[in-house]
Amino acid sequence: MENPNPNPNACGIMEGSLPGKCAGMVFPYVPMQSSSAERYDQEQALAAGTLFPGLNLPFFRAVKSKMNCPNNALCELMALGFTITELGMYLDTHQNDKDALALYVDYVNLAKEGRKRYESMYGPLQQTGVTAAGYTWLNDPWPWEMAEGGKQ
Amino acid sequence: MFVYEKRLEYPIRIKNTNPRLAALIISQYGGPDGELGASLRYLSQRFSMPYPELKGLLTDIGTEELGHLEMVGTIVHQLTRNLSEEQIKTAGFDAYFVDHTAGVYPVAASGAPWSAATMQVTGDTIADLTENLAADGATVQEQRGRKPLKTLDCW
Repeated sequence: MENPNPNPNACGIMEGSLPGKCAGMVFPYVPMQSSSAERYDQEQALAAGTLFPGLNLPFFRAVKSKMNCPNNALCELMALGFTITELGMYLDTHQNDKDALALYVDYVNLAKEGRKRYESMYGPLQQTGVTAAGYTWLNDPWPWEMAEGGKQ
Repeated sequence: MFVYEKRLEYPIRIKNTNPRLAALIISQYGGPDGELGASLRYLSQRFSMPYPELKGLLTDIGTEELGHLEMVGTIVHQLTRNLSEEQIKTAGFDAYFVDHTAGVYPVAASGAPWSAATMQVTGDTIADLTENLAADGATVQEQRGRKPLKTLDCW
């Protein structure tokens, strides 16, 4: 995998930088991640299971999954939550990527609004979310009980 | 400190009961390369990690793995809802049922209960990270049905 490159920041999305060159380190499982990595939007990210096209390993039995989630407020929140998780881990190792940081802040703010919208429709996301309706934390459905028999 | 959020990371809505599939998927919950091991491995290894990037990464990955654990548990639960008598006797699931009924128990598909012996925390940065690569590689392989690696065209 020798791929000499004088500018380590110019490595492709399947490659990471080693001193003085790009390399596909441990590439069979774990593609290295470059800076300013290309990104999906949040719905695509949740459907693909990664925010980063460069890390989207094609599985041998790739399931072309179409998100089937009729509860829009929940799916929106899941997509935002997933993107925040992904970007957060990216920032752990790329804390100086200003674009990614700005995007992270945008998504976090969007998610704050999304949480309010979701909670006003379906109840608290956390136990502390007591509303005018009282202590509704125990109300069904719990996350693992969603859609018994495939019906909402 | 951990705070529970009453939602899954990804929606799970399984239509059909399928105990045979549940008896295999349970390995991703409590098997040697499952999500329980993944979360405990990352969350335990971080205590001896000297680098801030990796303290953060191990914390964040370990936390997300707990979310995965909940998702896999949900899959097993939904695959074993409303079992008929006939379905309980399904080959492959009957042995699980006799011990755990339709409860979700951290166990490998091959029957061994989850064990910390399937993971390692050495206190050595490189050794721990290498162990993570091996563990995550095994998970990818398990999810692909243990197919041998091939060099992909795009590389």
